[in-house]
Amino acid sequence: MDIDDILREVDPVSYSIPSETRDLQALTRAWVAERSAPELLEWPADGIFERVNERIKKQIEKIEDMTGDMDPKTNFALIVIQTELERFKFLVRSYLRARIAKIDKHTLHYLSNPTLRARLSPTELAYATRHQALLHNHYLSSFLSSFPPQLQNLNDTAGNISMIDSPDLDTAVFIRLLRDALVEGRGTDSDGAIDGKAGDILILRWSSAKSLVESGGAELA
Amino acid sequence: MYGDLGNKLVQHAKRTQNLAHLPPYQAEIVRAVTREVRDLDKDVTELLEPFQGSFDPSADQATACTLLVNHLSMRRNKRCLLAYHRTRTDKLEEMVWNGVDVLDLCGQQVRAGDSGGGASHAGTRMSSVDGATSSLSPQEDEYVRQYGDLLAAYKGQWTDIDLTGSLEPPRDLFIDVRVLKDAGEIQTEYGAITLTKNSQFYVRQGDVERLIAQGYLQKLG
Repeated sequence: MDIDDILREVDPVSYSIPSETRDLQALTRAWVAERSAPELLEWPADGIFERVNERIKKQIEKIEDMTGDMDPKTNFALIVIQTELERFKFLVRSYLRARIAKIDKHTLHYLSNPTLRARLSPTELAYATRHQALLHNHYLSSFLSSFPPQLQNLNDTAGNISMIDSPDLDTAVFIRLLRDALVEGRGTDSDGAIDGKAGDILILRWSSAKSLVESGGAELA
Repeated sequence: MYGDLGNKLVQHAKRTQNLAHLPPYQAEIVRAVTREVRDLDKDVTELLEPFQGSFDPSADQATACTLLVNHLSMRRNKRCLLAYHRTRTDKLEEMVWNGVDVLDLCGQQVRAGDSGGGASHAGTRMSSVDGATSSLSPQEDEYVRQYGDLLAAYKGQWTDIDLTGSLEPPRDLFIDVRVLKDAGEIQTEYGAITLTKNSQFYVRQGDVERLIAQGYLQKLG
C-alpha cells in the first residue's frame, strides 16, 4: 500500500474508518502539504497533535511494559509496534521541522499581522517571538546600537523596499484534484484554464492553487 | 569608496555559506562599516544644518544628490551588516540543531543516547567556561547560548518525538553501525554497550541517532 491508497481511503465517504486511522491520514496529508507549500499553512485546529501525542506516549509505555517479556511472540509484536512508533515520530518531527524552517526564514513576516500569527501554534508563536527578540538583540549588541536612531529599525519599508522578507507565493506546487473543477492558473506570458477531473494531478503556482486547496477542491501532492 | 567594506562583509558571508565550519568573526570590518555609517550620518546632518529643516531638493540639486548617495550608502551598509550577521547566526543555529557543541568544538563531551535537550545544553554551558573559541564574537557566543535555551524549551514541548532527531524516514528499527571514535558506554533497553573504536554493532537506531549525527558512529549498509 502506498500513499495514494491511503489518501484515496481518506475520502470523506468512507467514515467507517476508526479515528486512529483517520488521524494518521490527516497527519500524513498535513505533512505532505506543509512540505510542498511555499508558505506556512494553518496549524490544525482540531487537536490532532494532542491526540497523536497522547497515543505516542501510550505506545512508549506499552513498549516499556513489554520489554521485560522474553516470549518470542511478544518480541515480534514489540518490533512491529516500535517500527510503527518510529514512523509516527518521524511524521510529527518532519512536520514540525518543516514548519519551524519556514517560521525561522520569515519570522517577521509571520509575526507582522494577526491573520498570519493565527497560523502558528501557541508554542510556535512563543518560539518565533523569542527567536526574533534574540536576533534583534544580537544585531543591536553587534552593530545596530551604534547606528543613528533612524536607521535602527528592522521593519522599514522606505523607498518601496520592505525589510520584511516574505515567502514567494508564485513557486510551483503539485496538486491533486479531489473533485471536478475548473482550474485557472496564472502564467508568465499568458494565463491558462483547464477543466480538471477528480484525481487529476496538476502543477501550477501556489498563488493560483491556494484557493482551490483551501476550499477542499484539491490537495497538495 | 563608499560601501567597499560592506562588500567585503558580503563576500565573507557568501564564503561562509559553503564552508563546513564557521570562519573567524570579522570584528575589524564590522567596526569599520559601522564607523562609516556614523560618519555618513554626521555628514548628512552637517549638510542639512544651514537649511534649518527647509531644504528644497530642486533648488540645490548637488546637495540633494550628495544626500541621496550618503543615505543609500548607509542603508546599503546596514543591509550588508545584517546579511553578514544573519548568515552566521543561521549557521550557528544549524549547529545547535545538529547537537554540535558550538562553544567547544574540540573537547566535546559524550552524552550517550541523548534524548533530553536540557542535558546537552547544560553541557554546552559548562564547557564554554574553559573552551576559548576565537571564531565567534562575544555577542555570537551569547546568542548561541540563548538560542540553545530557546530550542531546549521548544523541544521540551515535544519530549517524546525528539525534534532534533533524524529527518530521514525510518526504514529499519535496527541498524549496523561502526564505531569511528571511542564513545564510552551507552545504555539501551537491551543492556549496556561499550562503544570502542573499530567495533561493529547491531543496535536500535533510536538509541544511537545522536552519536551518528555527532560523528562517533557510522551507519553501515
